[in-house]
Amino acid sequence: MKKIAILLACATALALPFTATAQDAEGTTKKDAYRFVVVPKVVHPWFDKVNEGAQAAAAAIKAQTGSDVEVIYSAPQAADVVQQNQIIDSALATQPDGLALDLLDPSGNRASLEEAQNQKIPLVIFDSVPPEGMAIPYIGSDFCEQAKIAARRLVEVLGGEGEVAIMQGVPTAPNHSIRAECHRQVFAEHPGIKVVAEGIDNDSIETAQQQAAAIMQANPNLKGWVASDAAGPIGIGQAIVEAGKQGKVTLVGLDNLPEMLDMIREGVADSSSASQPELQGYWSVMLLWAQATGAKVPGYLDTGNAFLTKENVGG
Amino acid sequence: MQTKPLALLTRSPLAGVFVALAVIFTLSALISPYFLTPYNLSVIARGLAFVGLITIAQSMLMVLGELDLSLGVIGGFCGVISGILMVRLGVEPYSAMLLAVLLGAALGLVNGLLVTMLRLHSLVLTIGTAGIFGGANLVLTRGVAITGIPKDVQYLGRGDVLGMPVPFVIMLMALAVATFVMLKTPFGRYMYAIGNNQAGARMLGIKVDKVRLLVFVVAGAIAALAGVLMVARLGTAQPSIGETWVLAPIAASVIGGVATTGGVGSPIGAIFGAGIIAIIENIIVLFGVSPYWQGIVSGAIVVLAISFDAISRRYLRRDA
Repeated sequence: MKKIAILLACATALALPFTATAQDAEGTTKKDAYRFVVVPKVVHPWFDKVNEGAQAAAAAIKAQTGSDVEVIYSAPQAADVVQQNQIIDSALATQPDGLALDLLDPSGNRASLEEAQNQKIPLVIFDSVPPEGMAIPYIGSDFCEQAKIAARRLVEVLGGEGEVAIMQGVPTAPNHSIRAECHRQVFAEHPGIKVVAEGIDNDSIETAQQQAAAIMQANPNLKGWVASDAAGPIGIGQAIVEAGKQGKVTLVGLDNLPEMLDMIREGVADSSSASQPELQGYWSVMLLWAQATGAKVPGYLDTGNAFLTKENVGG
Repeated sequence: MQTKPLALLTRSPLAGVFVALAVIFTLSALISPYFLTPYNLSVIARGLAFVGLITIAQSMLMVLGELDLSLGVIGGFCGVISGILMVRLGVEPYSAMLLAVLLGAALGLVNGLLVTMLRLHSLVLTIGTAGIFGGANLVLTRGVAITGIPKDVQYLGRGDVLGMPVPFVIMLMALAVATFVMLKTPFGRYMYAIGNNQAGARMLGIKVDKVRLLVFVVAGAIAALAGVLMVARLGTAQPSIGETWVLAPIAASVIGGVATTGGVGSPIGAIFGAGIIAIIENIIVLFGVSPYWQGIVSGAIVVLAISFDAISRRYLRRDA
């Protein structure tokens, strides 16, 4: 009897570490329901595609695990960091299982992000980069490479010579400013290319159109355009058409909004260097869910860029 | 027979908006389990503080019969100037903030001088000056935020005192001073007299232009205070600060019973109105309302609040 008791005690002692390991293993925490909040920069069609990807990820997790997954999409009405912080702070009050954000300005968003970390709410940043010194997983394409693809294409179409202009998006948004800077770097490598003007569209098609129209008026020899956000090329394209400069001014666009694709099909734009918003939304939710289950996640996830031309955008 | 407190309530012009605020607050608390959490209440209070300061300034001008559409831009511009002073020019942070507030007063003085000396309509004039101040902001910053705001001053935007956000406490102090001046001093009575009948006030010997000028100056300083506090809150001087502070303070003032024609209302009522807007903005996120429906939902709640205010006032008056 004593021997049996000793054997049982030994077996229990040996089994304990395994039990503990199974319970503590990364990614094994399970909940019946998850609620994630997605906060983009602003109400914008590009972010609708992010939301589509996020909802697809929620459906996928539900189908695979049986857990209910709710993705709440809460967008600022204007690209204003004050308004965005107010939404983030209010969203934190609902204690979500995770928060995916596209930062308008990492330094301006820092206080809200620190509050989220204090509350131990998993975070993911998409289409942007985390504030300096903050360890937050982020998702996006290589913004610089995306811009360089567009700028190199413009240089190629222009044969390495001519006056060009750059449309910036929201100057404080890191992805926009990175793209604008990388456009400049490519143009600086080509002595025949002269950047004669830069506009700021603040991610608004209307503003982009007004800025582009004025810049083309002031620079009649302008030969080409690149942009730093998704709204920019659409406004530029409208300005090109209105000014009757189709075929005389080359536009290499950015991203894959329906209007952008139409402009490529109609020949208003030559091509577009596109990030993939659906993938960014999808993997944002996946990374939030993984964090909520206790799994470790990569610090950076690259969703890649696509180069769109008349040949591959389809009818 | 009516009890005395109810009689007092019915006589108060704030009764309607207060009841509307209380109803929205109670409904939000009943519907959302997150609404009454200390964290969420501090989120609402902090958000209300900045728009609230502009609302106080705007309501003072509206009592005079004026409207200043440049207040938000003054806030943003002065916030940026405070950032430039403390980060680029190495001015001691608190001194930089004080200088920025003084600049706000100076910009208010410019508005006031143009309105009083050239007899310009304040609404039209400040559309122009908002363009100038906002343009100067962009010229100075090129749209890029000024980072590196010293941590010492960030307490003014992010810290708490007595369990309340510091900017909210500052807003309450400004509200107390503005209310005292407007309701308990001769200067305040002059403001209402001018708002009611400018020509009549002149005939009574009130120095109408001096009063108007001074209120523009104070409004500019309060707007600048909101701007520098927001810089402390964000830890950066954003050129976009104040862009959304134009219509909300006017709407808040109107909801709070301040007449756009002048002579009626008080900053307290306006802050109640701002409180309604702040709660609406909060519950929209708490309830997860789609961004495409937010305009409809918040607009409908504001219309309901104003209607409720009007109906309850009529009902209470009939009852009195």
